[in-house]
Amino acid sequence: MCVEVYREEFLGEFRFVEYRPFRLEKPAYAVVALPDAGLVGVIGAWHIVKSLGLKEVGGIDSYSFLPPVIVVSNKEIKLPVRIFAKDDLLLIYSEFMLPQAGMVQLSRILLNYVERKGVEYVILMSGIPIQNRFEVEKLRTYYITTSPKASELLKDIEAIPFENGYLVGPYALLLKESVKSRLDSIMIFTESFLEFPDPEASARNIEVFSKITGKSIDVKDLLEQAEVIRIRARDTMKNVVRNLAQMRKEYEYTPPLHI
Amino acid sequence: MPAEDEFDKLWRRIKEVERSIREYVEDEFRRALEDVRNELRSINRMLMPSWSHEGYLRPLYTVKDVGRAYIIYIDLPKVDEGTIDVRFRNNLVMIRAKLKEGLKISSWSGRGGEVKFHEYREVIELPVRIDPSKVRVNVKRSRVQIVVHK
Repeated sequence: MCVEVYREEFLGEFRFVEYRPFRLEKPAYAVVALPDAGLVGVIGAWHIVKSLGLKEVGGIDSYSFLPPVIVVSNKEIKLPVRIFAKDDLLLIYSEFMLPQAGMVQLSRILLNYVERKGVEYVILMSGIPIQNRFEVEKLRTYYITTSPKASELLKDIEAIPFENGYLVGPYALLLKESVKSRLDSIMIFTESFLEFPDPEASARNIEVFSKITGKSIDVKDLLEQAEVIRIRARDTMKNVVRNLAQMRKEYEYTPPLHI
Repeated sequence: MPAEDEFDKLWRRIKEVERSIREYVEDEFRRALEDVRNELRSINRMLMPSWSHEGYLRPLYTVKDVGRAYIIYIDLPKVDEGTIDVRFRNNLVMIRAKLKEGLKISSWSGRGGEVKFHEYREVIELPVRIDPSKVRVNVKRSRVQIVVHK
């Protein structure tokens, strides 16, 4: 069964579809969750969707940059990049990784879309791979913001400012485009595995996200289901790792030469 | 110097150059072949489903070359840690481990019929012959670390 299209828009090589009208309360937040290290962003985003009861309001497709795929959810045909919303929160979610050229275009278009939807803060959540993740139990969470206004939201929050280093991958592009568009964006990232799904890191990100937005999200269920999630996420992780290698993700392990 | 000696010297030099060119080409060829092999192996891994109708799951794993050793990390969620069995043969690492409880994939995607999974199975190939006396296996939070000293 196909969902009805309320609004359709072509932006570059991407087709944005809204299934129903929606308006965000102010101040509005947008979360963009794309596959990256340990699938930390997408695992966390899905937990937010379930916990806050976000509704699927639209989707994004591209014949140039996405595989010929549809998502079937509860017998309904949906687009591969999914848009959820409720109250003051817009969440864009994809389990599919785009090639670099597509990612550059999508970052620009996505941020333009969320800005037009009245979003005030963009929150990006991901993992930062560490080589000794096997041994580490207490994970550290870092953040980067693109403006003083965004930094204000992180006052008194248990996260470390990321001072020096490289970020590689889809979130690096989203941050670059945020700076270019002068959007107030916050990137939260927790130490994680690179090649294995890491729900524990997702839980840590969500705790920080809850404090920033004031939304109460219990991560107990996520941690209890962590092993099941790790089994279910194996195939997605396998496909993502190959793309991350092509993007030279290993640069994140490199200390910068000059600070 | 007699012309014959000059000729011998030149001939030896030609032979040396020929040998180094041959070694260089062989080296490059070996490297290219290894790259193609790795690429094919990675495509094969990508296309191979992570589960089998015979009732086993294939775990995610990664191999890191840290100079003095290869370190293999294997993700085994829901594993019964007491049943993890790691064996070595030549350059192969063979892993089998039972799940704490049977799992059905049909409840997640509607596919896979009535297949129930009871264990993990994987064979990992290393570029060196493994000496089992130089191997260390650690298990932590259902993840396995195997250190294979070169």
